[in-house]
Parts: sequence; C-alpha cells; structure tokens
Amino acid sequence: MKHSFRGLIALVSSLIAIAFLAGCDTNTRMSTFDTKGPIAEAQLDLFMVTIWVSLFIFVLVGSVYIVAMFKFRERKNDDRPLPVQSHGNPLIEIGLIGASILLLVIIAVPTLRAIWYTHDFPVTEESKLGAWYQGEGLSAAEEDKPLTIRVEGYQWWWGFAYPQLGITSANELIIPAGKAIRLELRSKDVIHSFWLPRIAGKVDLIPGRSNGMWIQAGDSIEDWQEKSGATGSDEELRAAYARYLQEEIHNYYYGQCAEYCGDSHARMLFRASVVSDDDFASWVSEIKTGHQAPDDMAWEDWYAANDESPEKLTGDINEGLQLFMSRGKCATCHAVNGNPRAVGVAGPNLTKVASRLSVAAGWLNHRAEDGSVDIEQQYANFFKWIKEPNTVKPGNLMWKANGGGIGELEELLTDDEIHKISLYLQTLK
Amino acid sequence: MSSSLTEPTAPATHDHALKPEKSNLGLMRPDHSKSVIIDWLTTVDHKKIGIMYGAMALFFLLVGGLEALIIRAQLIVPENDLVSAERYNQLFTMHGTTMIFLAIMPLNAAFFNFLVPLQIGARDVAFPRINSFSLWAFVAGALVLNFSWLMQAFSELGWFTASGPTAGMTDFVPGMGWFGYAPLTERQFTGVGTDFWIMGLQILGIASLSAAMNFIATIINMRAPGMKMMRLPVFTWMTLIVSLLIVFAFPAITIALGQLMFDRVFDTSFFQVAQGGQPILWQHLFWIFGHPEVYILVLPAMGIVSEVLPTFSKKPLFGYSIVVFSGAVIGFLGFAVWSHHMFTTGLGKVATAAFSLLTMAIAVPTGVKIFNWIGTLWGGRVRFDAPMIFSVGFIWMFMMGGFSGIMHSAAPADAQQQDSYFVIAHFHYVAIGGILLASISGLYFWLPKILGKMWAGKLSTWVAILSTVGLNVTFFPMHFLGLIGMPRRTHTYLSGFGWDSYNMVCSIGAFILGFSILLFVIDIILLMTKGKPAGNDPWDARTLEWATTSPPRSYNFARTPIIPARDALWEHKHGAENRKITFVDEGSHGIHMPSQSWMPFVASFGFIPLGLGLCLMQAGVAYMGYVTISGLVIITLGATLWAIEGPGGYHIHPKEDEI
Amino acid sequence: MSDDAHNNDSHHNLMVDNKKLFMWLFLGSDCMFFGTMISTHLIYRKLYPESFDPTSLFSLELTSFSTFILLMSSFLMALAVSAMHKSDIKSFRRNTLGVIFFGLIFLACQVYEFTEFVHEGLTLKSGTFGSTFFMLTGTHGVHVAIGLFWLTCMYFYSFTGKMDPHESAIDVEVAGLYWHFVDIVWIIIFTVIYLIEFIK
Repeated sequence: MKHSFRGLIALVSSLIAIAFLAGCDTNTRMSTFDTKGPIAEAQLDLFMVTIWVSLFIFVLVGSVYIVAMFKFRERKNDDRPLPVQSHGNPLIEIGLIGASILLLVIIAVPTLRAIWYTHDFPVTEESKLGAWYQGEGLSAAEEDKPLTIRVEGYQWWWGFAYPQLGITSANELIIPAGKAIRLELRSKDVIHSFWLPRIAGKVDLIPGRSNGMWIQAGDSIEDWQEKSGATGSDEELRAAYARYLQEEIHNYYYGQCAEYCGDSHARMLFRASVVSDDDFASWVSEIKTGHQAPDDMAWEDWYAANDESPEKLTGDINEGLQLFMSRGKCATCHAVNGNPRAVGVAGPNLTKVASRLSVAAGWLNHRAEDGSVDIEQQYANFFKWIKEPNTVKPGNLMWKANGGGIGELEELLTDDEIHKISLYLQTLK
Repeated sequence: MSSSLTEPTAPATHDHALKPEKSNLGLMRPDHSKSVIIDWLTTVDHKKIGIMYGAMALFFLLVGGLEALIIRAQLIVPENDLVSAERYNQLFTMHGTTMIFLAIMPLNAAFFNFLVPLQIGARDVAFPRINSFSLWAFVAGALVLNFSWLMQAFSELGWFTASGPTAGMTDFVPGMGWFGYAPLTERQFTGVGTDFWIMGLQILGIASLSAAMNFIATIINMRAPGMKMMRLPVFTWMTLIVSLLIVFAFPAITIALGQLMFDRVFDTSFFQVAQGGQPILWQHLFWIFGHPEVYILVLPAMGIVSEVLPTFSKKPLFGYSIVVFSGAVIGFLGFAVWSHHMFTTGLGKVATAAFSLLTMAIAVPTGVKIFNWIGTLWGGRVRFDAPMIFSVGFIWMFMMGGFSGIMHSAAPADAQQQDSYFVIAHFHYVAIGGILLASISGLYFWLPKILGKMWAGKLSTWVAILSTVGLNVTFFPMHFLGLIGMPRRTHTYLSGFGWDSYNMVCSIGAFILGFSILLFVIDIILLMTKGKPAGNDPWDARTLEWATTSPPRSYNFARTPIIPARDALWEHKHGAENRKITFVDEGSHGIHMPSQSWMPFVASFGFIPLGLGLCLMQAGVAYMGYVTISGLVIITLGATLWAIEGPGGYHIHPKEDEI
Repeated sequence: MSDDAHNNDSHHNLMVDNKKLFMWLFLGSDCMFFGTMISTHLIYRKLYPESFDPTSLFSLELTSFSTFILLMSSFLMALAVSAMHKSDIKSFRRNTLGVIFFGLIFLACQVYEFTEFVHEGLTLKSGTFGSTFFMLTGTHGVHVAIGLFWLTCMYFYSFTGKMDPHESAIDVEVAGLYWHFVDIVWIIIFTVIYLIEFIK
C-alpha cells in the first residue's frame, strides 16, 4: 500500500500547492515578479535561471526517485534472494558531481554579472541632475551628480532627505522616473532595511555604517528603445519614451522595512511615488516654500497675533495650529517648512503631509481609487493616529518618549482638540 | 554465538547483592539506588541520558509548536489582534530559539547518546560523568531561558516591574529574533528578555560543548577491536563531524554573547554605535557560529537516513566513502559561507561574490548525498515500514528545501528573498521536511530498541500523510508570499497586498501539521503502553546496536565484539563465514561499570542561580549579584568534589550465553 | 583525580589517552574563543587607530616582566609533569608550588597594571579599546586563576596519600597542557595587543 502512497502524497500535495497558487495573481503591490526597474528586473531574471535549473534537477532526480521506489519495492510474500549488495559506482558518482558543478556554473555566471550590475552605479549623462532637474538653486558641483537621497531609518518611520536640493520629507518618497538615483542608507537607531520590491531588492540600514544602493524606476531611454524596438526621429522617440514612463512607470509603489526592528516593525511601511520631471520639480519647490499660516497670513503676523491675543485667531484651523504649537507639543518633534517655530527633527517632516496618501509610515491609508487623497479617510486617519498612537504603533515615541509624548500629558488631548489638529494638518497640502 | 545475537534471551543476572560503596570523599556513591528518581538523576548510563534528552526534546518540540500555532493563528487574517506586537515578537523569537536549541539539538543529542557507544561496540562514552553534566546543564539552560515566561506573566499581572538597568522596559521574554541582531539587543532597545536569552544560550552552549568533546573522544578512542574508522556506521561519522563543528563553531557565539552581555551590564562598546561599536560585527560572529549550527542540526538527520535507507532496501549505502567524505566537506565548507546570511548588509561586490560561489559549492556534496541515497534504493528490495516512509519523505522534502537554498545563493536574487517569507519557506522545508522527518524516521526505527517494544497499528501512515500535507500546505505558499513582498517577523499585515489568502492557507496547514505531531505523540504513547516485545533485531538491520537486547543491558555487550567488516551485523547474518563477529575473551573479572554520581547534577545545578541571578540583576532585583556568585560557587564546588570523588566503579558478571 | 584504568579504557585506537584528547579538544575550542576576542580587538584597532594611543599607558617593562614570569612558570610546570612521570612526588610538589607562586606574581602584575590603567582613565567603558582590551586580558586572567585553583587543589591533594603517581601522571600532564596553552595565549596577546602598538 505504502509504496506508491508515500511518494504520491508528497508529489500530489506539491502539485496541488503549485497549481492552486500558480493561478494566483502575482501582479500585486509588492510583487517581485512585476518589476518596474532595471535592478528588480535583473534580480528577477537571475531568479528565473535558478528556477529553471532547479526545476530541471527536480524533474530528473524526482523521476529517478519515483521509479526507484516503484520498481524496487518489496512485493507481497516476496521470497526473492537478497539483492546484490553493491557498494557504489565511482564513475556514476564522478559523473553526477560533474553534472552538479556544471549546473551550478550555469547559475554562477549570471550571478556574478548581476552582482556587479546591481552594485555599480551606472554613470550616464541623463542621470546627472543638470540634465533633467528643472528646479532652481542647484549648485554647479551638484549639476554633475546624480540625484542622491538620504534614507534615514527610525523606529518606525522613514526620513527622506534630498541634501542637494535642500529639502527633507518622510514616509512617502517622491522620485523622477527613468533616472538612476543614488540612495544613502542611514539608520538612527537599530537595523532597518529598505525594500521597494518592484524597483529593487533590499539593502539594510545599519547604524554606524554607510550603506548605499542605486535604484531606477523604469528603463533608461536606451534600454527602453532596445526592448521595445521603437524607431523614429529623436523627437518621436523622446515622446514615445515619455509616454512609456507615464503609462507604465509613473505610479504609487509600496515598500516596507525588511529587517526586524522592534515592536512595530510590521508597521514600518513606506511609499514611493514615481513622477515626471516636472511634477518632481514642482513638488521640490512646494516643499521648499512650505506653508503659510492659516488664512494666508505671514508667519510673523500670525505669531505676533498669537503672542498678543491668541483668542483673536478663531476657527478650527487656527485653533488647530495653536494646539500644534503649544499643548500638543507637535512642533517639538515635527517640522513644517515655512513655519519658523516648527523645526523639530525627532519626527517626520510634515510639510505637505496632507498630500501624502498615508500616515503613520504607510500604515493608515487614504488613497482613493483614482490615486487622489480620500479626504474623509484622511481625516479619520489623522484623528486615529493622534488619538491612539500606542495602538496604531505600539511602542512609538509620539505616545511615550521619556516625558515628551502626548500619552504622557497630564491631561490627554481631548477629542475636540484632536479634531482641530487634524483639520489643521489637512491644510498642509 | 552466531545468530543468537539477534534472538531474545532471558534477563541477565547481575552480581547478587551489589552494594554501593564510598567515594574518595567519604560519601556513599548513589549506585544501585532503589529510588527511581535518584537513579535517574545520578545516572551516567548513556542510554538513560539519551532517553532523558529525548523526552525533553519532544516536550520542547511541543512547546515550540504551540508557539508556532499561536503565530499562525495571529496571521490567519490581516490586522488581527489575537496577540499584541510585543507578545508576537516574543513568540517568534522563542519559537526559533526553542526549536533549534531545546528541541532539535537535544533530540540529536538523544540519538548520539543512545546509539554511538552501541554502534562502535563500546560500553559507554569516554567520560560518563561529563555526559551527565551535559544533560543537566542543558536542563539548567532550558529552565533559565523559559523562566522568562514566568517573569513576563508576573509583569502582566502587575506583580513586577523592571527597575535598575532595564527600567521602563516591559519585555521579559526574549523578543529580538533568534539571532538577536545588535543594536536592537542593547539596553536602550530591549529589556531583560535579552539577558535571559544570553544566559540561556551560554549555558546551553556549555552543555553542547562538553557533550561534543565527549563524543569525539569516544568515537576516536573507544571503538571495539576491528572497528576501523571506515567501518563506522554513517550515523557515528556524522556524530563525529557534528561534534567537531560544535567544538569549533560555538566559541564564536560564546564570545559574541559575552560581548553583548558586557555591553548590557558594563556599558562597553562592542556593538553600541554611539561609542564606536559596529553592529555588523555581531552579525559576523553570530553567523560564523550560525551557519555551522545549521549543519550541526542537519548532519545527524542525514546520518539517520543513511542508516534507515540501507536497512529497508536490504543493501548497503551506495557510495559509503563518498557519503562520509561529503559530510566532512559540508562540515568544512560550512565555515566558509556564513555571510550568505548577510547579502543585504552591503558587503561589497567581492565578498558577496565569494560567499555566493562558496554557497553554491556547498550544494555539491549535499547533492551527492541525495544521489547516493537514491542509489541505495536502486536495485534494492524496498520495504515501506514506518521508518522508511519518513526517510523517503525526507529525501523529497529536503531536496525542495535545497532548491530554495540554491535560489538564495544567487545573491542578487537573494536581495529580494532575504528577510521575507521566502526564507521562512526555505528553512522550514529543510528543518521540518528535512530534520524533523528524519528524526521521526529515527524514532520509528530506534524506539523499539530503546524501549524494547514494537509499534502497534498503522498510525504512522497517518502521521506521515498529515505531516507531509501539513508541511507543504503551510510552507509551499510561503515561497510566493515572500516573492510578492511579505517581510518576515511581522505581527500583522494590511489587506490589499495579495497576502490574505496565502496567509490563511498557511495557517490552516500549520494546524494540520500540528495535528500530525499530536498523532505522533499518541503513537509513542501507544508504543509505550500497548507495544509488544520487539526482540533484538525486528527490522533485520545492519549495525551493532541491533546485536544487543531490546532494550540493551546496562553494560551494552556482555563481551566486547571484534568487528570484521562494515555493516558488521549484516555481514554476520548474511555474509561470508570469515565475516562473523567474534568476541574478546575478557576472562572472569567481569564487566567494569562506571559509578553513578551526584556531582555532575550538583555542578550543573549551579547554572540556574548563575543565569537567573544575572538576569534578575538586570531587572533591578536586589541582592541578585550574590545569587549569581553563589551559582559560581556551586559550580566550582561541584566540579571540585567531582574531581576528588574519583570515578569508582563496580563489576557485573553476565551469564555465559548472554549478549 | 584519576579516571579509571580498565573500562574507560586506555586501550585506545589513537594512542592518545581519553583525558588528553579531551583537553586537546577543549584547547582547540579555547583557541577559537581567544581567536575571536583577539580578532575583535584587531578589527576595532584597524577601524579606529586614532581613537586611543596606549603607548603612553602601556609599560612594556612591566608587561615583559610578567610575560617572562609566566614563561618561567610554564617551565616549572614542565618539570612538575616530568617529576610525576618519574613518580617523584616531592619534586612534583616543589615545582607545582613554584608554578602557583609565579602564576600569582603574574596575576598580581595584571592587577597592578589594570589598576594603573583605571586611574589613568582607561576602563571597560573607554570606547572600543577599553572594551576589547579588558575583556581579552580579563578572560585570560580568569583562565590563569582557574589554572591556579586547579594546581592548588592538586598540590594539596598530593598530601592526602591518595595520589598514585602512576595514575595521576596523566592528570598532571593534562593540567600542564592547559597551563602551557594559557601561557602561549598570553605570548600572543602580548605581541598582538601590546607590542604591535609600538611598531608604528
């Protein structure tokens, strides 16, 4: 009974599993199969080599195995003499060792190539800032360099600094399509790992160590041209390439921390919006400008009024801002560009936070189907995040930070206060 | 003298009225005790020690399994809140630590202990008292590690709060992952849980190290006449290689743990970044231990399979020398591949390439073993008894785990797979599909010898089917889950990423797997309560342990055998006349047995106050420094008295016709 | 102290007594032990050569002296082993006492040296150098202390009359192996931690 049973069960369940799941959708938010950048693509190609080699060995060895089990099983009332007590066959051994080595070489060669490719930053003219960046204020030295973003890992959120452009953001990375970008990976506390699967495999952020990687969303124009076989004049090609980037690459990508970093590791997500050069430049400029005070007041005026007679600054937004600056202590940790008194760096920079499609490092989402902000959901998320950060992200510093957290206030923020702060935050578009 | 080796005989008569004697200390040695408890606490008999290791291993297998089931229950739906984040993180840490250090390693130790002296024709190991010490040190380590759960319970009930060095921290159970990456393990980020982990592992390390050295000395020095190295059963060879791996790999983690402890207790700078420490050093040191460790875990399983397959194919292992040699190569190369756990840490192109290629290289000897196992079946006469079913399953499942290992070895591909569910799939295939199935095979094979009873009924078939189905349903989808972006060690996940149905399937599979283990436990209980006498050699096996009674007498062999060939028992039964086992004529002064002793138990008991004292000191409990020191004193005292008491010994005179 | 003659058998297949083999294995793992600590020290020295300059703190004269003392103690240990082989218990006792005496001097030098360092501001908490230096030399010191404890026990045991030279020769030899190892490790530490700082 058991002779066929055993192998069959293993085989069948493997096949069922494969069948069940092969039919499943692999075009998901963080799929490594649906690649949108050359690094992820190189890594996937290499993976497929290993899959084919493994499958080949599996089928070959597996069939010999199954045949052996069937053919040489003991029969009922088997009274044959003992089988030949063979001790081995050196020739077969050597042959099999040789074949194994050969198969591994098939994997090793592309592996080495891919290691070099994914490590070495491709020096191209198009990637240099001077070639594509349309914003202002770029120094001559920087024009010659590619865009460099400093990724800062904290428990449990991400800071994204663009030192060449003089801005800092958090949790939602904005990058231009089609350009090789250098990422500097720095951790401020424990080890984290930057994983944006559709663009690239992960690299760790290790405190005390300066890791880096390069990423690129979408192919360069040459690679695109090669792959698509497009022809035409320079202008036509550029237009077609721009269309390709727009249709296939511009998107909202999902990433997550991939190295266990403490209580809320599971909730340390991030996003990457891949946009056109124009959109990127305007975003940078908006961040640089920052926000005005409510009702379009200048900040000196607002502070003057606030210092003198705060009760004259009426309305939920004003009151929300007042709470932001005082009782809520938000400005101690969070910066809002434009606001001279909100320069905290312990927490995420909140400039244009209302344009982000999630909060709490990707954990609370308010992205509508069409890719815009779902205002009601955003409000609910802000509210929830400020009301109970300890539930949303157990252990996080906004709640409890050696006396500085909002969970450590003698009187916790009331619902009304949180309501106003949320409304204020929603104005930071 | 010939085939009576395999036929049951009447019970032995020992010397009548054996009375315990005084040791050099002037105290009575605990030999021939009438109390069962004293007998087992002071035993130096490798067989009893093996049984105790095995019982503890099975217990912790269930503990670790329970931790796994809670994990899977938490993950069955997105944003579940069955357990808190802190608790979940503790569960996966303890699951890994328990399974590796408290389940598999002692299970391997159980097999080593019971089988190796029998397989080499010896009466016991080289150092019986050290053997006992290893066991009790293991128990001490297990206790210290799991005491943390008690502390956590006290904390949850509000009866205890951490103060002093770890004031403000609420984690008492280790929750930093089983490989404890710095700087998460520093005092700023984790509480006393990390200290429990450090002390538990250090104590367990001492247990493993002393046992390993004991086995090396045993295998090299205590073989019966004629038992040349190349006539050793493969299982004994694997024991030797594994023991050497332990001796050379454990120091790395001992030092790493020591450095971490110094960081936490004395504020040194080994891994604290602010003072210049480099967390990546921890990773290097840990994996220099950690990679050989996984071969320490799997080589015994391969040894077991290398015994079971020939027995149930009725022919010798195909390519014995190459199987042994590839085991040695795997052990050796195992020290050269550690940074493949660190491909995403920014090692640089050259190091990445080197470790990538070396990791691929290690697939060769592993593949060789698989080919040889299949070659063993080929041309044989295969009986699918319970042990064989599991060994056959092992080959299949381990092969699948090996494939995902090859996928990992290609470093750029690994950049996507590392730290995702793909890794979890890989190592569970090799650990459960490989090590666990092989261990279950070994238990089905050798429990009749160990307990003297034969398996009743066909529950084993159900264990086999359900464990295989459970394993595959739980872990096969995890390959995909990882490849579509789910990172590991995440206590929950959002819907909308395509992970929901995979997780549900995996969780269902886990319960199927858990159920199969339950059935296995039931089968063992049935064996113990309803099993019929097994006889000496119920499987028509090949190696020397089957030439003894079931269970073997305390002295193993009445007369030391002289070994004419490999697979000595098989040759004796079915081989040529000149290949029969003969015996040493030892004259009439009887068999010398080592005396039992309290000292190993006493010495290893000292680890408990040592470990707990230090941890509780970190938690701010007063006077714990004294407790720690008292632990050291007990250990020193125990060891000193042990040295002075002398080994003692007594004689047994078996009957003429006894085995 | 002796393990027994007949069953835990000195009938070896390798001509190396069980206890000696066990000690060699232990020393093998101890090698890895010290090797890991020494490597850690060297790695941090290479990473941060400017972080600390020990040349002003180290007293090569003192450390050379204590190294020499330890070497001499090893010599006396060899004599003790040889004495036991020749069943000369009196000579064994004299030489063992010598080893203990010299070992204590070595430890005293270490204690003096460390106290000086602490006064000068080099402690366990002094960055990576303090951490690696004290852990390494401290562990070595503990090894020496354990060895001294062992030898002291042996010394007193030799007075009880229960020490049969024939059986105890192997025990003394094993203790000797341990002591020589501790000495060799110190030579390496001396070279690689102390001397190397002066070659720049």
